[in-house]
Amino acid sequence: MMRDAQTGLPADRPPRLLHACRNALRVTSVRIVVQTVTLGLLVSFVLLTTSSSLDRLPALRHWVGKLLEVDPLAALATTITTHRLYKALIWSLVILIPTLFLGRFFCNWICPLGTLNQFVGWLSSSARAGQRPSVEGPSASPNRYRRSQATKYYVLIALVAAALVGTLQTGLLDPICLIYRSLTAAVLPVAQMSAPNLLEDPRLHQGAWLIGFLLLALLAANLFYPRFFCRVLCPLGALLGLLSRLAWWRIQRDPTRCTGCGLCLAHCEGACDPHTRLRRAECLVCFNCIEDCPEGALRFGCLPSRQGERAGPDLSRRQLVLAGLAGLVFYPLARGSGRVTRDFSSRLIRPPGALEELEFLRRCIKCDQCIRVCPTNVIQPGWFEAGLEGLWTPVLNFRIGHCQLNCTACGQVCPTGAIRPITVAQKLGLGEMTEAGPIRLGTAHVDPGRCLPYSAGIACQVCEEVCPTSPKAIRVETLPGRQFPVPRVDLSLCIGCGLCERECPVAGDRRAIYVTADGETRSQRYSQADRNRSVRLPAPPRSIPKQDRLPE
Amino acid sequence: MTDRPITRRECLARGAGAAVAAGLAAAGGFLLHDREGRDPATDLPSAGGLRDFFAGIDFPAGSPRIAVVVGHEQRIRQMVQAALAALDPELGLKRFVGRGDVVLIKPNVGFDRPPHLGATTHPEVLRWVIRLCREAGASRVMVTDNPIESPQACFAKSGIGPVVQAEGAELVLPASGRFRVLAPWPDPAGQQATAASIDWQRWPLLWEPLDQATRLIGLAPVKDHNLAGGSMALKNWYGFLGGRRSQLHQAIHEAISDLALLLSPTLVIADATRVMMRSGPTGGRLSDVSPGGKLGRPVLVASVDPVACDSWCYQNLLDRDPAGLPYLELAARKIQSQIRAGRRRFGQSDWRVYGSEGRIATISV
Repeated sequence: MMRDAQTGLPADRPPRLLHACRNALRVTSVRIVVQTVTLGLLVSFVLLTTSSSLDRLPALRHWVGKLLEVDPLAALATTITTHRLYKALIWSLVILIPTLFLGRFFCNWICPLGTLNQFVGWLSSSARAGQRPSVEGPSASPNRYRRSQATKYYVLIALVAAALVGTLQTGLLDPICLIYRSLTAAVLPVAQMSAPNLLEDPRLHQGAWLIGFLLLALLAANLFYPRFFCRVLCPLGALLGLLSRLAWWRIQRDPTRCTGCGLCLAHCEGACDPHTRLRRAECLVCFNCIEDCPEGALRFGCLPSRQGERAGPDLSRRQLVLAGLAGLVFYPLARGSGRVTRDFSSRLIRPPGALEELEFLRRCIKCDQCIRVCPTNVIQPGWFEAGLEGLWTPVLNFRIGHCQLNCTACGQVCPTGAIRPITVAQKLGLGEMTEAGPIRLGTAHVDPGRCLPYSAGIACQVCEEVCPTSPKAIRVETLPGRQFPVPRVDLSLCIGCGLCERECPVAGDRRAIYVTADGETRSQRYSQADRNRSVRLPAPPRSIPKQDRLPE
Repeated sequence: MTDRPITRRECLARGAGAAVAAGLAAAGGFLLHDREGRDPATDLPSAGGLRDFFAGIDFPAGSPRIAVVVGHEQRIRQMVQAALAALDPELGLKRFVGRGDVVLIKPNVGFDRPPHLGATTHPEVLRWVIRLCREAGASRVMVTDNPIESPQACFAKSGIGPVVQAEGAELVLPASGRFRVLAPWPDPAGQQATAASIDWQRWPLLWEPLDQATRLIGLAPVKDHNLAGGSMALKNWYGFLGGRRSQLHQAIHEAISDLALLLSPTLVIADATRVMMRSGPTGGRLSDVSPGGKLGRPVLVASVDPVACDSWCYQNLLDRDPAGLPYLELAARKIQSQIRAGRRRFGQSDWRVYGSEGRIATISV
């Protein structure tokens, strides 16, 4: 076949305009546009819907978290831990069902972390030798299949095994959760710090350095190992890879046309061996190989290639068992510290509408959406207050903010129902919820050793002044021997909103008034002593408060 | 001979480059030299002093100092106009705001409460003040406050934010870059410095709008205050403070009287359309709120003397004895030194003095 030396196309090529249109309509061009638009939409939605802008663009609220709702790994894992598929997570079928026909198209067409990985790899590969067929052939290409690519399946098995015994840890490595979390805790504050006074003051996030460095490390790994995260670590990719063994469409190679040049590997994103027996579970459906093949030997077709293909991943049985055991063993090791039950931390305060701790840990995918929408920045990515499982789950830090009285934003954005979408009436115990009472996050306690009128004979009344409940849960009383009135918390009225701790002039991490998780309503139903955090004897219940009922 | 031969041009170029680099390094070193090892006392940039926002106003000696308007909830516009007309029948607000003035209006947006609970300024009062400022020829109208809770929530919930947007005024949010500490006062006699009780060079103020404004109008709701006694025109200035201002509660009367000394406004309007009689300043119950307090009908009090205004409102609206409000006397004493030096005109702690001089106008609409 005569080829044009410059373009590599057949010499009898069509006129210029048609050629340009065909170029633009190449599948890879369309794919790049789709990838860019998806990533761009995600980033701009997240930037536009920080808490202050949430009211200005209410229509965006439902769309910001859409990627989380279509995440099949989140849906699968929460279904395993809770035996239910929560609400909007059913949208994950939108990704699952096409995967069963088309393969892992999600990884290269939609996943924003995939797009970022691909972009970083592309930046570094522009001078790479892989552009031309190497003298050694495909075995030296950076896109050759490597055994390390099996690791992600072991990661998936370990996470699924952990979920089977009741602990949800997929959020740590799930790419969608990871990208949302990194945008919230690392990227957005950096953007805010570079534009002072224009956007709101930069928000603070505990441990943001770790979240940011994780993202940076994963992106930097692409410089040495293309699509490192996607090929080696991604549990969602592993799940979709396992599902694509049933797929109808795949890359087909015509051995009569194939010359064995290995050019198809030049930009192969999945390292799936299109030049020999295609590894279906690794193919990311990027279509680069089809474009790169000078002989036109590859196409996206419905039948397996004549010389065969590898439908499923190459997994060693021994590794699988070890991975499963690792996942199973994680649970007793994590729970064995007792931080979730008897040795619970009084400083572990969860957002309003959060379920009881064991149920919460079965649902939280650590996407940190609640942290992003919180208007006062009080919700923080957790550290190990709830033991090993609590990393990056939302905890409240009243030195940074407080829980605004009439706000229920966190529950509205939680995709898995770890935080329930409550109404203001439920939160404050108003109207028909008066009998049930308000949702308490905890209780405030005065530290008389630090409190100024108690211990230093100095007038102060800030906690009483700022207490937002009506009637106020803090009042001042004059005690004999004290020159100025001292504050006193009414345990039946305090809802643990933390405004008193936030505003206390005795600042730092040991404030003169501070909130603990004691008395939180989400734990009060449980007769088991190690999960019940009541302080006072509760009044006999007339009915189970609606907000405390377990999910249907 | 191992060296590469060098041309004259190259030699000169290199020498010149080295000389320039050396010169820059030396200059940089000398400019930044810190011989004493100065202690950076605060990480906030300091600003100048505060200007007198009453300067340049030709206020007739015989005019009323306090104007009280009793009206109706549906007649807020008439109440605002009547209050200003009472202070100056000829010009009204135009006596105070001229063409080209940059007006800063300071309402109370301190709490995340809806307006009917009386914790914040009535948005309709603000609306008409903004309009009248525009009619008087103001080139810019800014509205600001530094609430305790999230500014976005407070401005939205109190109804102030939407009114500011609707009237085309500027909403100045308390972003951290807008705060400064005051520079040492350029007061040769040192009177202002010694008169103040608090070391104001340690406290950040919401400086940017104050610096840009030529006129300052305070719009304070009249409220009970559990610690200070009352929260009215003078306590309203608290909203200019940043930092850990809750520490000032330990000397609240000293702090309020100092603010009265520091800020010499153009006008204050006490918004007594809904008076919080108990549980102030946060409130939260409708049963604590009464229109006009003791008077039972919505009231607006416009005044050029914030101290006397507070005194009047404390007695006639909150129904308490101003003698029991320590900051009034303290404020009057501090301002007295300014009055003697001819730098201020008004600072009377006992409203009855104006009453006896016939300088209180009372109107009903």
